[in-house]
Amino acid sequence: MIILFATIVSFVPGWAVFGQAGAALLVPLFLRYIYRSLYRFVGSGRGQIGHGTKTARQSQPPVPAHSDTPRPASFSGNYNSDLLAVRAAIGGNSDLHFREFTIAHSGARAVLIHISGMQNDRVLNMQIMQFLMYDLPAGSLSSAEIAGRLLPFSELKEEAAIDNFNKLLLFGHGGLLIEGLPCGLLVELPGSANRTIGEPVSEALLRGPRLGFSEVLSENTAMLRRQGFNDQLEMKSYRAGNTIQRDIVLAYMKDIVNPDLLEEVKNRICKIDFDFLAESGYIEQLIEDNYLSPFQQLQNTERPDRVISALLEGRIAIMLDGTPFVLIAPVTFSMLLQSPEDYYERWLPGTLLRLLRFTASFLALMAPALYISFISYHPGLIPTELAITIIKTRQGVPFPSLIEVLILEISIEILREAGIRLPKPIGPAMGIVGGLIIGDAAVQAGIVSPFLVITVAVTAISSFSIPMYSAGITLRMLRFVGMLFASVLGMYGTILFFLLICCHLSKLKSFGVPYLSPISPFRISDWKDLFLRAPMALMKRRPVMMKTRQNKRKS
Amino acid sequence: MCRRILVLLSSLMILATQTSCWSSKEIEDLALYAGLALDTAELSPTEQKLEEQGSTYTKRNRITATVQVVPANSVGGIESTDGSVSPYMNVTGTGDSVLEIFRQYSILRERPIIGHHLKVIVVSSELLKQQSMNQLMDFVLRDNDIRPSTMVFISHGRAEETMISKQKGVIPAFHIRDMMRNQKRTSKVLAPVILSKLDSFMYSKRSYALQNLVTANGEVEFSGAGVIKGNTGHWVGALSQEDTECLSWLTNRGQSGVIKTYDWSNEPITYEVKSLKSKITAKVDGDHLSFDVKLTTEGRLSETWNEEEYPAATHLPQKAEKLFNKRLEQMMQSLFHKLQSDYKADAIGFSSMLKIQEPALWRKLEDHWDEVFSRTPIHLEVDLKITDFGSFTL
Repeated sequence: MIILFATIVSFVPGWAVFGQAGAALLVPLFLRYIYRSLYRFVGSGRGQIGHGTKTARQSQPPVPAHSDTPRPASFSGNYNSDLLAVRAAIGGNSDLHFREFTIAHSGARAVLIHISGMQNDRVLNMQIMQFLMYDLPAGSLSSAEIAGRLLPFSELKEEAAIDNFNKLLLFGHGGLLIEGLPCGLLVELPGSANRTIGEPVSEALLRGPRLGFSEVLSENTAMLRRQGFNDQLEMKSYRAGNTIQRDIVLAYMKDIVNPDLLEEVKNRICKIDFDFLAESGYIEQLIEDNYLSPFQQLQNTERPDRVISALLEGRIAIMLDGTPFVLIAPVTFSMLLQSPEDYYERWLPGTLLRLLRFTASFLALMAPALYISFISYHPGLIPTELAITIIKTRQGVPFPSLIEVLILEISIEILREAGIRLPKPIGPAMGIVGGLIIGDAAVQAGIVSPFLVITVAVTAISSFSIPMYSAGITLRMLRFVGMLFASVLGMYGTILFFLLICCHLSKLKSFGVPYLSPISPFRISDWKDLFLRAPMALMKRRPVMMKTRQNKRKS
Repeated sequence: MCRRILVLLSSLMILATQTSCWSSKEIEDLALYAGLALDTAELSPTEQKLEEQGSTYTKRNRITATVQVVPANSVGGIESTDGSVSPYMNVTGTGDSVLEIFRQYSILRERPIIGHHLKVIVVSSELLKQQSMNQLMDFVLRDNDIRPSTMVFISHGRAEETMISKQKGVIPAFHIRDMMRNQKRTSKVLAPVILSKLDSFMYSKRSYALQNLVTANGEVEFSGAGVIKGNTGHWVGALSQEDTECLSWLTNRGQSGVIKTYDWSNEPITYEVKSLKSKITAKVDGDHLSFDVKLTTEGRLSETWNEEEYPAATHLPQKAEKLFNKRLEQMMQSLFHKLQSDYKADAIGFSSMLKIQEPALWRKLEDHWDEVFSRTPIHLEVDLKITDFGSFTL
């Protein structure tokens, strides 16, 4: 017994080892401290401390501050003073037109106000003016209720507050002020120049609908509605922006979406406190859980079919006016590597392509790091013949492998960035020519080895195969971090880097849904649609991770 | 707040200075050695001249180690592939410690050598008469870089000569390694003995046979085998090519090969082995130990120079089978005789059969097995069958 104990004791390391272990423990604690203090210092975009936490319900967002000038807040019904108030507020705009006239029979004075270019002149002149000046039946338009009964316009909205009336006028609505009526009437919706609806540029598919979202919110919502007959698709409108307000629409399936999730998304949308939302990327950054994470926590897409299938999984779409990119929340890691085509093709090719994409993303992330660690640290792990070839080709290269990789990687990234800016007809050609010439010339000049050119080319091609552009950028960025790790610690560092990413991903959440689910937390039933795409016959239920209200896809 | 940022930044910078690429070594700054040859001490001309100038250290000249460095140093980016430059470079050193000799290379060449890619070790039989295998392989087995899959050979002449090739663009170490593939074609190539196997042989004090290399005129040939005696670790003798073939058949490592004999009209007739199985059974009768060896083989009559005999004639197979049977027995007996009487070394592995079949007896004989083996009768039974005659026109 004593001998046994003594044997065990002889294996207990000395104090120095314990000290080292303690010091090693300090590293993650220190990193955590840095992370926390950075978060506390910058704060979150939503005016709350901490991250990934559920926001507490708040009553209402603070009302944007108005100017304090003593102006009548609402219409009085006195035609002259009302018109004067409107003119005083926005009359200085040269593109604003006032057309005063007298209404038929009653003889009341009225004014039609509109922004040039935002209204169909023909409709305004021929129909509205004609009707008001000649055809309006007798009767005093003294209240909005009567006006609503007497005026046969499909678009008719009364607005009591002068401020709002002015904003809507300038946004392009046609406005109508009538003597004796204590409110302004909005008669026509704004119609401005739009582009035609085209194919989604950033997410092109071979098979699948060619329809992509456009910049007009109403068109986008209509596209979603046009996906099929259903009475559960609900859209809720919000308005956000302090200086310039914009419409946001939340779309979800009422009978599927998890109510807690919906509540959370609404909460975060309500709390948006920003000047102007130029693109849905603004919303994404203002409502995401963790802004220090390199991974996106909302998915952006141009494809209505992608949105509608996300809604059917119990997710929520956030649409902003003025951008074709719709956000989907919550997002999980596997979504970033899935393409709608996986589902449109039969399941075997779909599975193959999906597995290919997973491999490609691994390569895009790790290939240069592996190259560096093999070349600089582990020559024994390369097959002998290959090692000899590499030695031969690298003998003239003056740089260590990290510098060599950085030179080529950075020039490829520059080339790619330049390719986006180049005019369309010469862009692709320049990319190919530039890539070929730079690669070949660099080898000829002895700056890099030919083997590296292969590595970098494989990496670049791999990162293009990721269906989500934003996810591709994330991997491109992390690749450089991986290269640094590899150059400092070799294969050990590369594995460490991979583990760090895994740690971060398993901790990350998007709107309360773990980012790595269904891998962690482990949900075996959702694995049908993770690496493999199971046949349709097996896809009987909605994803468990979304905790949907009803989970049957089949009757 | 400003102070906090300063603290954060400075700590990050300290973190950055802490780490550096301390163990990084670019692959082109290293010299891989693919082959190692060990010989009796013989100073190379360069070494002699260097020693004359007093460049030496405390040593006894007992071995000469030659490493084959690939690729040879070449300056410039892309090397010309016309083969005008030798793709390898042999570096030689003499002393009495393999590691010390290796380290001496570092004061001779600019690139340090690494052993990850060592494929082949060749030891000359002359050296093995002086030094035991255990002494020579000690460093190689202890070294962390060298893989246990490295193959070990014996050379008839000087081992360093096997590391030279006349052909341009051929790396001899790879050439020797790749020749191992021909095991599929002939059983004269023994199953490779790798370092981990050698380790087990050496420490269980078993005798074993290693593939023998013979060089002539810049060509390397696999020819026969060398027998190393277990309890001494020294080379005791060579086996001929036929013996080697029999050895692979007996150990069930060879499924190929030819048996050639001369027929009734003294013309060559050749049998091609398609399958061959050997079964060794230990028989104990009181204190009397003997082995039964049963060989079962099927094959094809592939070649006969006898024009009179009609190849498909019904009596031919029986006649030929008898001839081949006799020839195979002859070959086997020759091997047994050599191992039992001449070398007194059980390189076939009867010991392991005995260990499995009669463990109690084995424990008694373990210590002086090679002696016992040389006195143990071996009964041979050959069952040879010709199953086909190849394709021929009537």
